[in-house]
Amino acid sequence: MKKQSDKAPGGAQQWFANAGKALRQPLVATVFGLLIGAVVILVCGQNPLLVYAEMFKKSFLEPYYLVSTLTRATPIIICAMATAIAWRAGYINIGVEGQMVTGTFVATICALYIPGPPILVAVLAWLIGMIAGALYALLPAVLNWKFGVTMVITTLMLNYVASYITSYFVTYPLKDTSGDGMALQTKQIAKALCLPRLSAKTTFNAGFIVAILVTLVMIFITRKTVFGYESKMGGYNPAFARYGGTRQTRVMVITMALSGGIASLAGCTEVFGLKYRYADSMLTSTSYAWTGLMAALIAGLDPVGMFVASLFLAGLQIGGSAIQRSMGIPLEISTIIQCCITLFVSVKLVFRFVRHKKVPAAPAAPVPQETAKGGQTQ
Amino acid sequence: MKHITKIYGTLKANDDVHLSLNKGEILAVIGENGAGKSTLMKILYGLEQPTEGEIWLDGELQHFRSPHDAMRKKIGMVQQHFMLLDPCTVAENIVYGNEPRRHKLFFDREKAVEITEQLCEKYGLHIDPRLLVKDCPVGLQQRVEILKVLYQNADIIIFDEPSAVLTPQEVAELLKTMKRLAEMGKSLIIITHKLQEVMEVADRVMVMRLGKYITEMDKSATNIEEMSFLMVGRHLVERKVEPQPTGARVLDVRDVVLAGSEGKNILDGFSIHVEAGEIVGIAGVSGNGQSELIQCITGLLPVDSGKIELDGKDITNKTVGEIRAAGCACVPEDRYHWGCARKATLAETAIMAHQYEPALSAHGLLNDRGIKAFTARLLQEYDVRNSGQSQKAGELSGGNIQKLIVAREVEQNSPLLIAAEPTRGLDIGAMEFIHGRLLDKRQKGDGVLLISSELTEIMTLSDRIYVIYNGKAVGEFTRASATEEKLGILMMGGKLDEKAV
Repeated sequence: MKKQSDKAPGGAQQWFANAGKALRQPLVATVFGLLIGAVVILVCGQNPLLVYAEMFKKSFLEPYYLVSTLTRATPIIICAMATAIAWRAGYINIGVEGQMVTGTFVATICALYIPGPPILVAVLAWLIGMIAGALYALLPAVLNWKFGVTMVITTLMLNYVASYITSYFVTYPLKDTSGDGMALQTKQIAKALCLPRLSAKTTFNAGFIVAILVTLVMIFITRKTVFGYESKMGGYNPAFARYGGTRQTRVMVITMALSGGIASLAGCTEVFGLKYRYADSMLTSTSYAWTGLMAALIAGLDPVGMFVASLFLAGLQIGGSAIQRSMGIPLEISTIIQCCITLFVSVKLVFRFVRHKKVPAAPAAPVPQETAKGGQTQ
Repeated sequence: MKHITKIYGTLKANDDVHLSLNKGEILAVIGENGAGKSTLMKILYGLEQPTEGEIWLDGELQHFRSPHDAMRKKIGMVQQHFMLLDPCTVAENIVYGNEPRRHKLFFDREKAVEITEQLCEKYGLHIDPRLLVKDCPVGLQQRVEILKVLYQNADIIIFDEPSAVLTPQEVAELLKTMKRLAEMGKSLIIITHKLQEVMEVADRVMVMRLGKYITEMDKSATNIEEMSFLMVGRHLVERKVEPQPTGARVLDVRDVVLAGSEGKNILDGFSIHVEAGEIVGIAGVSGNGQSELIQCITGLLPVDSGKIELDGKDITNKTVGEIRAAGCACVPEDRYHWGCARKATLAETAIMAHQYEPALSAHGLLNDRGIKAFTARLLQEYDVRNSGQSQKAGELSGGNIQKLIVAREVEQNSPLLIAAEPTRGLDIGAMEFIHGRLLDKRQKGDGVLLISSELTEIMTLSDRIYVIYNGKAVGEFTRASATEEKLGILMMGGKLDEKAV
């Protein structure tokens, strides 16, 4: 008992120290990103403080804009989770976009052409969509496992494959010809299959709840499951995980399948909650996957952090387009800030790398670590 | 060096330490791991800056901001891990950083060779300048390091654990070299915890403990017992290992062949066995197939032919998971490469390969309370100094993380434990502790396969000893028949006279 109570403050202290350390980098990066944005705003001849105040107001404070932000954040959050579940296990999946496109497209087709009671069809469509996304993510995993092809490259290239194939389908065989026939898109899916709206006058829909659920599932997987533990160790040090006897191929397959499955959820919320049809490049031109990837990087792959970072980035985009209308600042300002933040967060990796390079001369701390006792007695 | 204090965070790595060095003298700095010897040397070599204190050289106050500054003042260091460019020749490595040039632009290879030959001549350290470093044995590589430091004209040379990777014969050679350098007027500092060597070469001995300067004395005025007492702060009991009967074979490796990349077999018909209740040592210079042997037994590398049996079950080319389940635990040779992940917490490090035990998880879900209790028990029973279970493995000192890894593997309670370099780089206290655990394991009737480049370790603990050379088991000894000389000769690829075996 006594030992326990002795250790508790040390543990809490450690926790705070760790949390502080984890938060410092993203916060510093955000400040730098905003500073650079401020310079650009100055160049445009506006007062950065006013612009930022307006942006903040037009993304989080006014109810109409707040729900737009939440709507925009929905696919970003889910994409961040999809990215993170693979990255934390050491599999650099940058094909979330392609997996999302494939899964969503398949889900839309299922919703359009499978007959039956709406609820059942909706559930089935989402499930089949997830399976399609998972299979699409497994393709690079299998290539890597069987032939040692680098996953970074295959996942990236498969993005284009998915995007062009779906383009073909909505341009020719599955194009909606009911209207003026100009738009490259599928027919509209039945109203009964769609996600309910959460507020009457806006587009805010139950997709956001899906995003929250995905976040909760992500937290559960990473903290509570043996799979989460094994994949995390594999990400930290693959040799350690292998030596410990974890089945790494299995971990890789499950990881990539989850990543692709979650990715297709992101697009499904967009189709079933917002657009009610699949339109060409609806998921790529908005760069949800890449914004999600930035959120994942900024938050250091922590689920709660990614949720917050996604909201922040979505707010930046919504606020950015609002000030374009009201103040004549180009929308690109939010892109600049977003990219700068990501860049500054990535600097951390470089710093770590440099420090790592220096360390090997002295592999270990020279004195055994004492629990925080302050100074040593003479 | 006066009043040197170095503080890392809340930790005083050096606390008001003094050090003086006379011309032409060999000073040995001894102390346990984490006593602050390396930190002190890093400060002297400019790798670290002291929090307080001054460095005086020939009556002048110095401020070293980098090793470059130190080198300019003729201080050189022979690192424990060699900093050599493997695919280059000896000569190229030696002149690296200050190359002879032709027309100020082109590297002058002949001149480099010439310089190297002159250096060799001058200091009596012979080596072929045209050899590629990767083809040199470890002892020669170290010689290249020494020559490199001499080429930079160092007058003060720091040796960091110089004998850690050498065979007994190479060590003897090294010690001779050191004495010769001292005779030529160079001043040497050796950091070590091998007291035998200290007795052989040092003129003066300085003892450090827990970051503090304890004392210093002339070698002639002290002895090994006194030094080890001062280092550890208590008396060590010499270990007596009682013979005990052994049981069935727990590990049987028969004619294992592992092909290398260039037509040469890394393991070349290797056969050994381990019985229950015995410790079997494998002695050898590192790089003769030990790492591959461990990886073959544990399932990390597939063998090309031969058979490996564990507890009567055939485990040849099974997966790591299957082999672990069949009853094999392993303390890996490289604790940071295989043994842990630096970013993982202590709890995450402790439960590796235990994660499916019913106390720690059920139906794929982790049992937090069980994990906490398990980790706490390991940390306490194996005396791992830590600041909480959420501390990162990479933040522990080498000795402490090693204790945790040993704890994890011993607690597998498997019939076979492979212990590879279990005490490399550890201080006497931690070493004693780990040796004790290995002997407990033997006492329980389990088999232990001990692989170490530390001959003393092999000879103290093992009931039987094999020597590995070029992927073959070239000799088998009982505890009684093994001597350091015989093992040393076989380790170098020599042959024993008929009557000596």
